[in-house]
Amino acid sequence: MELTVLSLVLAASMILMLSLGVWVALTLVGVGALGLLISGNDQIGLLFGTSSWGASTSWSLTALPMFIWMGEILFKTRLSEDLFKGLAPWMEGMPGKLLHVNILSCGIFAAVSGSSAATAATIGRMTLPELKAQGYSERMSVGTLAGSGTLGLLIPPSIILIVYGVAAEVSIARLFIAGALPGLLLVAMFMGYTMVWATIFKDELPKTREQNLGLLVKLKALKLLLPIVGLIIFVLGSIYTGFATPTEAAALGVFGALVLAAATGSLSLSSFKESLLGAVKSSCMIGLILVGAHFLTLSMGFLGIPRELAAWIGGMSLSPFELLIGLTALFVILGCFLDGISVVVLTVAVVMPVVQQAGIDLLWFGIFIVLVVEMAQITPPVGFNLFVIQALTGKNILYVAKAALPFFLLITAALITISWFPQIVTFLPRTMSQ
Amino acid sequence: MNTLREKFYQLSGYSAGVCVVMIMIIILAQVIGRLLGFIIPSAEDVSGYALAASTFFGLAYTLHNGGHVRVTLVIQKLSGRARQIQELIVLIFSFGLACFMTFYCFQMVWESYVFEEVSHGYIPIPIWIPQSSVAIGLLALNIALLDSLIAVIRKQKPAYQHQEDESSLEEL
Amino acid sequence: AEQWHMPTPYGDANLPTQIAYDFAEDIKQGTDGDIDITVHSGASLVKHPEIPRAVRTGQVQLGEIFIGIMGNTHPVFKHDNIPFLATSYEQARELWEAAKPEVEKQLKKEGMALLYTVPWPAQSLYTKTPVNSLKDLEGLKMRAYSPSTSRLADLMNTTPTTVQVPEIPQAFSTGIIDAMITSPSTGANGQAWDYLSHYTDIKAWIPKNVVVINDRALRRLTDDQRQVIFDAAAKAEAKGWKGVRATAEKDTAKLAQNGIEVSQPSEELMNDLQKIGDIMIKEWEQEAPNEVGKILSNYR
Ligand code: NA
Ligand code: NA
Repeated sequence: MELTVLSLVLAASMILMLSLGVWVALTLVGVGALGLLISGNDQIGLLFGTSSWGASTSWSLTALPMFIWMGEILFKTRLSEDLFKGLAPWMEGMPGKLLHVNILSCGIFAAVSGSSAATAATIGRMTLPELKAQGYSERMSVGTLAGSGTLGLLIPPSIILIVYGVAAEVSIARLFIAGALPGLLLVAMFMGYTMVWATIFKDELPKTREQNLGLLVKLKALKLLLPIVGLIIFVLGSIYTGFATPTEAAALGVFGALVLAAATGSLSLSSFKESLLGAVKSSCMIGLILVGAHFLTLSMGFLGIPRELAAWIGGMSLSPFELLIGLTALFVILGCFLDGISVVVLTVAVVMPVVQQAGIDLLWFGIFIVLVVEMAQITPPVGFNLFVIQALTGKNILYVAKAALPFFLLITAALITISWFPQIVTFLPRTMSQ
Repeated sequence: MNTLREKFYQLSGYSAGVCVVMIMIIILAQVIGRLLGFIIPSAEDVSGYALAASTFFGLAYTLHNGGHVRVTLVIQKLSGRARQIQELIVLIFSFGLACFMTFYCFQMVWESYVFEEVSHGYIPIPIWIPQSSVAIGLLALNIALLDSLIAVIRKQKPAYQHQEDESSLEEL
Repeated sequence: AEQWHMPTPYGDANLPTQIAYDFAEDIKQGTDGDIDITVHSGASLVKHPEIPRAVRTGQVQLGEIFIGIMGNTHPVFKHDNIPFLATSYEQARELWEAAKPEVEKQLKKEGMALLYTVPWPAQSLYTKTPVNSLKDLEGLKMRAYSPSTSRLADLMNTTPTTVQVPEIPQAFSTGIIDAMITSPSTGANGQAWDYLSHYTDIKAWIPKNVVVINDRALRRLTDDQRQVIFDAAAKAEAKGWKGVRATAEKDTAKLAQNGIEVSQPSEELMNDLQKIGDIMIKEWEQEAPNEVGKILSNYR
């Protein structure tokens, strides 16, 4: 069968299965198997075994259940409530108030965690219930979380930058540093948008009377933040003092959260069990989707669809600017059906030579790819942040996707900004090499 | 019967939980080991195996509690008989697919056993041992899907649907 | 035409992957397109640890593997990871000729046949301080990723420390590790000058990649087709052994250009290291006296 027809058949069957209510993970396995079946592969079962074993034992993924569990423990200890009480007086003057807590906590947590799923799951577990209780627009709470959860990939450490760095032979240390400024840029853009939104849609925010809190009150409130700030410093510090690697830091985070819970008296056998089962539920969901995504990736590798598409774009002899637009379109379309890391893995071999030939800086391109992958995390039907937030809130994927749409556009704007001003990416790594 | 069923799902959840705790302990041991100057051999391998085990052991529990995500936008609009038929189709398809997955994961375990495959890390660990967790976990998922399938055939709501309905009620 | 798939573990910038692309092209031309091999580089199709299994069970027809990764399967697969057994490319070539029959025998047992090997540049010592004798290393934390690298670290009076490849830069910067032994290419590709300063060219061992083919897939072919594959493999092998020297030189020069101090080891250091090597060779022989014994007597 011709590749174009095959791609359309597979995309249609994915949409059909999903809308019929087949679980996302099983849909991915089903579409992967269908692709191999049509191509006449007679080893589908064995391939499934190999791919799921490879996908589920990856050492760098061990951080994921750790971070999710940490989020569950913090949620149970009501430290999340303190997080808001401590920050609220400081956010008084800012339009959008506590919505910024979502963005800022994601930004800070992203400095600890390398994945966007873990970032969205951990922070969302703490902030969403609280924002809802205080009467904030659910749509905006969900949107800010979906958007800023993707910061996990851009702000170092980052799983995707490691994958790219290994594939493109670009120093991972440099990539990590290059991600810092664009990460801050995104945080600023998200906060700016939230302020504008809050000024226009005043009704969707809780009504509070204007109060001018004295500095003393504000400083007192900060005391509430001490435990959680302590935890973050503990985790970040363990990474930067050489006590632990980023993956190991996740386990330290859980340990620290347990100690905090015990110290505040909210650790009991039953809350321990509850937090653990909660972590199991989320990480099993993500784990099975990763297994499905990996199998679909394998199937796509055999069929060569992403490779052909990338080669097609590469063969059009475009100018660097056109090439970037073409690649963005390609990644966004592929990102609708595959998860972001798979898109990079499947296309990098074909894309890299073309990019290099066009004279595009490989370091800059790494950050470009991360931004595009971040977009893929929040586009339906397959987007990890969407799944995580659906699991947290019970809201439908399309609802979450719609709420995240403004943030998708903001990331696009960031993409344009770094294309216009590549220095945002290259400035820090250059200073480093001097 | 019902208590046996609950026990089954609890076993699935707690065994996955134990594996999550194991990951933490292994990694902490590695950090402490480095501090004191000794190596926990194969720590990366073993924590990877614990990760696989925690993912697959917990599948049945997660399904039962409505943890696996799916798109409910379209099917929410169906009601009564149409909804039942839709759930029936989904469950038959999923059960069939899960049977396929389970069968081949057992075959993978069997082959690793026959070919005496070992891990390549520090300690040569017979790979069929950790691989069994994948096969067993999938088998448990099969049982859970069958459990739901029988419920739908008996015109009852499957357990995961209760959870989904609860969260969509919150939306109203 | 038959569509074949060949997963390889490393990215396109590496010599073995470039050779794999040429190898596939030679076969395509030699068989008039009857055998069309798609190379999936950088573990994009199958993850590295799963490649042997994928080839053995026929999930893919052929694949490339770092030989040492099979070391736990049988000690003969460790032959090119034993420190100070073969420290020049000539010696490495001789060692490979000596080990080849035993390696082929073991591969056969697994349902795989050998096509060709590509050596990596010799593995040397990266540190943050100059190293003139073993004393300079005492007490440092050295990266270990296998029982033999860990044993080596012990014998060098350093503390073996496990760190995964992607975390090496961070581990060096934060002091989790102070030293590692790897090829000049790994250092050059990973821009090692960002986090360390000294490279001592001890040439501890010369590891290889091997390309293997599923036995049944090979047997199903016509005699002519098989010949095309063996010819292409011989060509690839020659290319690899020639290309590695140039790669090693180029990458070592790149290290120096970027400010890493590249130095030849002192005689004292090499003498001490050779003693450690002798201990480790003996220990390796004890793991499988029959097969390893044969390799060693062939080699000497
Ligand atoms: Na991050
Ligand atoms: Na997407």
